[in-house]
Amino acid sequence: MSLVGDLIIGGLSIGACYALVALAMVIIYKTSEVPNFAQGEMAMISTFVAYTMMESYGLGFWTSGALTLLFALGLGAVLEISFLRPAKNPTILSLIVITLGAEMILYGLAGWRWGAMQLPFAVPFSEYSGISPGGVMITEMNMWTFAVSIVLMAFLFLFFRFTTLGTAMKAVQQNPFAAKAMGIPTRRILTFTWALSSVTGAVAGMLIAPVSTLDPNMMLDPMLKGFAAAVLGGMTSLPGAAIGGYLLGLIENFFGGYVSLEFKSVVAFGVIVVILCVRPSGLFVRHYVKKV
Amino acid sequence: MKKGSLWVVTMLCVLAVLGMASVTVAADKVRGVTDTEILIGQWGPQTGPAALWGAVGRATGVYFQMINDQGGIHGRKIKYFLRDDAYQPAKTKAIAKELVEDVGVFAMVGGVGTSCGMAVRDYLTKENNVPWVSPASGSSHWTQPFNTFIFSTFPQYFEESYVLTQYAVEKMGKKKIAFFYQNDDYGKEGLDGAKKYMSDAGMQLVAEVPVEVTDTDLKTHALKLKESGAEVVILWVLPKHGAMILGVSKAIGFDPQFIAASTLSDPDLMFTVTKGLWKGVMYGNFVNMDSPLVKKYLEAQKKYAPNEKYTGLFYLAGFYFAEPLVKGLELAGKDLTPEKFVKAMEQIKDWNDWLGYGCTFTPTDHQGVKSVYIEQCGDNGARVKVSDWLVYKPKK
Repeated sequence: MSLVGDLIIGGLSIGACYALVALAMVIIYKTSEVPNFAQGEMAMISTFVAYTMMESYGLGFWTSGALTLLFALGLGAVLEISFLRPAKNPTILSLIVITLGAEMILYGLAGWRWGAMQLPFAVPFSEYSGISPGGVMITEMNMWTFAVSIVLMAFLFLFFRFTTLGTAMKAVQQNPFAAKAMGIPTRRILTFTWALSSVTGAVAGMLIAPVSTLDPNMMLDPMLKGFAAAVLGGMTSLPGAAIGGYLLGLIENFFGGYVSLEFKSVVAFGVIVVILCVRPSGLFVRHYVKKV
Repeated sequence: MKKGSLWVVTMLCVLAVLGMASVTVAADKVRGVTDTEILIGQWGPQTGPAALWGAVGRATGVYFQMINDQGGIHGRKIKYFLRDDAYQPAKTKAIAKELVEDVGVFAMVGGVGTSCGMAVRDYLTKENNVPWVSPASGSSHWTQPFNTFIFSTFPQYFEESYVLTQYAVEKMGKKKIAFFYQNDDYGKEGLDGAKKYMSDAGMQLVAEVPVEVTDTDLKTHALKLKESGAEVVILWVLPKHGAMILGVSKAIGFDPQFIAASTLSDPDLMFTVTKGLWKGVMYGNFVNMDSPLVKKYLEAQKKYAPNEKYTGLFYLAGFYFAEPLVKGLELAGKDLTPEKFVKAMEQIKDWNDWLGYGCTFTPTDHQGVKSVYIEQCGDNGARVKVSDWLVYKPKK
């Protein structure tokens, strides 16, 4: 029984991180239909910035965290303005290729600036102790991960539902031309989308780093899993992507626990293939056919 | 069209003449050896996922500079070519081609990565007779089957794993041993060594848990290990996964004795990454840290590479891998050819005057080093020696 409980906690905990990465992807995808492959490295760079503020400048965890979110906001905006915006009459494919280029640049930059060594990412709560109801260990780190991810998701949900900016972002996604005609500054909205997505990713990075140690490769796997989670839940649905993240975490852990550890990582991609065959829009999105 | 084909014919003729010219030059000259220089090459990941191990190649450069400043070898200086392959075998292949065909090196030294090395092993040693000293990986593929031109100084993972398991059972009196390994050649050769010992001793591992290189969530792995009730867990993984499994194990209240492969033998680094959890972990090591040479080499680093950020164990390994090459070049004498070099290397017997132990090559066995010793991580990542040199001697 305790194994099941442990697998659930483990699955939800890593699932929360996948969910955040998936959300970050979906935020950009919703407005521009571009899957941003630089997502992982943007989060990784932000996490390194947090690390540097703590280690080199001696700032506290919470101060560094807050400043890092500001940095991530700027990073997202700058990348959009300097990489995507200059593209002339871009197709979706060319924009995707641009994000891949940005990914490589950021990856190289991190290797050059911080080196390839594993670095410890210290957090003010314990990764080893916490509460254990019924013999299932829930560490403080687990609890923070749950809490932070849920708060952030709630914030995003409310933001898109009830603010003018959020509504404008949805409008840009549904019909950029009409949105522009209605006086919505579509370019600025896109920039803001990137900024918001970058912040979400940075939070994921800071939740993953304490457990997985910090190095330039740390987001490679979570990024792919987050992408898989987004496909699972639906690339255009925020709640769908979030639930997809948790589901994927659980599926992975139970598969590893009861079927095969060797294929634990592969199962995520198996899930994508199945979903794409059965429900191409994702589990939580109504299939939507664009009328021409 | 006609004009075009005439062109092609002319070019072919020119190429043929040039080709013959280079063949005639090669006949009376040894590749990579001039009156004043010996050309040596190495690849090593300066970027990419294994960039930490790139320290090996940089340290070798410092060692050669030191040798050159001491007067070189038989009046020749070593000219060193280090190339970055980013741990990608396809790039290693291109580098090997460049170093052999364009630069024309006499020998290769070190070279991180089992798969990187495997990608060029036959090209270097079978097709081009390039001597290759100390491939920087403990794979058995360097010396089995026997290869005339390869000299391995990295104890084989199989043998190391065998002696570490033996130590856990015979010296520490543990019976329940579990094995946590990377699911590829590196991890599996370690696993095979442990299994061999266990079957020799009439026992069995209580768990064999694989991990993929890219895995970021090790909770299930830790649960599996815990479930097996292991008293000892042997680690044959990346430093990153070594650090992670300790953290996750602690979080689920699983506290066995961990014993790690020599690939994780930098306690200072591991202690920092694990925020102190690494204390008490035992690990194999084949670089003799008691040797006075350690100090000498680190002084050379301060002189020749003062900006080097990392000077831990993998850096010292760069000296370790290059020492036997220089020894062989000295023994081979002034009149240097690949064949004479091989003969000279095969004269090295029980050599201890370097960072390694008991280096011996024979005309039938090019696995030079077969011993490791065990250290334990102490306070603040200090090294505490717990065993003497352990030599691989299979029980059956």
